[in-house]
Amino acid sequence: MTKSCWQWLGACLISIALSACGTRPTPAIESYVFGTMVSISLPDQSQTRAQQLANAVNQEFFKLHQQLHAWQSDSELSRLNQAIAAGQSMQVSPLLAHMLRQTQQLSAQSEDIFNPAIGQLIALWGFHRDEFTPVKVEPEQIHRLVKTHPSMAQLHIQDLQVSSSNREVQLDFGGYAKGYALDIAANFLRTQGVRNALINIGGNIIALGQHDQRSWQVGIQHPRQSGTIATIDLPDGWAIGTSGDYQRYFNLDGQRYCHIIDPRTGYPVQTTQSVTVLIPPAESAGVMSDVASKPIFIARDESARLLAAKKMGVDYFLIVDAHGDVLMSRAMQKILHWTQPPSHIKVVDTEAL
Amino acid sequence: MKTSGAWIRPLSGDYLIFIIALALLGWLFSHYWNWQAATRLQIHQGGQLIATLTLDQQRELSVSGPLGITRIEIDHGRARVHSSPCTNQYCVHQGWLSHAGQASFCLPNRVSIRLMGASSSYDSLNY
Repeated sequence: MTKSCWQWLGACLISIALSACGTRPTPAIESYVFGTMVSISLPDQSQTRAQQLANAVNQEFFKLHQQLHAWQSDSELSRLNQAIAAGQSMQVSPLLAHMLRQTQQLSAQSEDIFNPAIGQLIALWGFHRDEFTPVKVEPEQIHRLVKTHPSMAQLHIQDLQVSSSNREVQLDFGGYAKGYALDIAANFLRTQGVRNALINIGGNIIALGQHDQRSWQVGIQHPRQSGTIATIDLPDGWAIGTSGDYQRYFNLDGQRYCHIIDPRTGYPVQTTQSVTVLIPPAESAGVMSDVASKPIFIARDESARLLAAKKMGVDYFLIVDAHGDVLMSRAMQKILHWTQPPSHIKVVDTEAL
Repeated sequence: MKTSGAWIRPLSGDYLIFIIALALLGWLFSHYWNWQAATRLQIHQGGQLIATLTLDQQRELSVSGPLGITRIEIDHGRARVHSSPCTNQYCVHQGWLSHAGQASFCLPNRVSIRLMGASSSYDSLNY
């Protein structure tokens, strides 16, 4: 073997070794708002400017949280819930009216499976608290609530005047508010001239621009192991959201009860570990990243999951079922890098659905 | 008599296969080996970074939050939330963390620990 061959080989190995060292962590500004952790990375901004921007975003989140809190009696949403329970109508703020219309439309799109009107069921299961302790639920109570069929369609929104034809409707925006907040934050930062940012609200993430001449990279939490199941590049304007049974849950008699409740049965879903969806740039990419995973998570088998993804217009999805097996779309498979690959992976072509 | 010299002396094609195998191995490692050992631990409380510590030590720390004291343990290359005043104990159940990018949060007590490496394999975690 000639000397130049060895030099060539050496150069190859060094470049391979260096390619693994090209990334570096971006300092993110973290805060606790919205009852969860918010983290904002602003790589191009000075530390002072980044802190100013993050404070302004957090202030918006704080206002939103005060307005939408489902179990603080003085929030606007709680007052609306009280009015609905009393059979009265209430004048709401333009912002809340907009959110009600948007969730009404998304709920209809999911055929009532994404259902923010089941606040009473969520409270019954004990998820209307900051801490979750095992709750023994009376089956009769659940049955009674399910039979009342609370639905977003029962809300009547006339300009800013809101009423409900069903007094059992109790609104909970737990599956929507974080996504909405992502859209607000992304729009705010864009108006401030920020081109590159990564916003993470309680695990839901939206990307602006890029970072170090490459797309933002996001790790997807493994539902049962510490660390990630996969990583993914999140291009400009894209959002990612995961619904999992591992964040808000309690164990009782060897069963896991997570916070995502099937409105048809009134019981927490036990057929899915996690659903991750990736949403291309759109005005409501943040909202969709939060909402669209819910009907897929609640669906019980493969055909129902695929149908739910189709109804919500989701092309990029990764579903981990109760056994740890993965069902994913071809589009998702193409852009995902496994870190802890599952033993069973099934890939489906969404075009064929 | 035939010696075993033909076995000892590789042909140029053998070198080629050797080079390709080595390059492929290197590429596979850099591409799929996303676990980078962590070297440092960052501790946040209430959104503020309160400490960055090297993982190369044996140490216990106490961080106070709104609910009380969260105890964090560092043990030569790994770290965990050892005890927490929260009721759900998710942070404690997460156990030992040892790879760059891994994190454990205690939302009720507003404490988070995150392992940092020479490089993290991602910018943010979706959960």
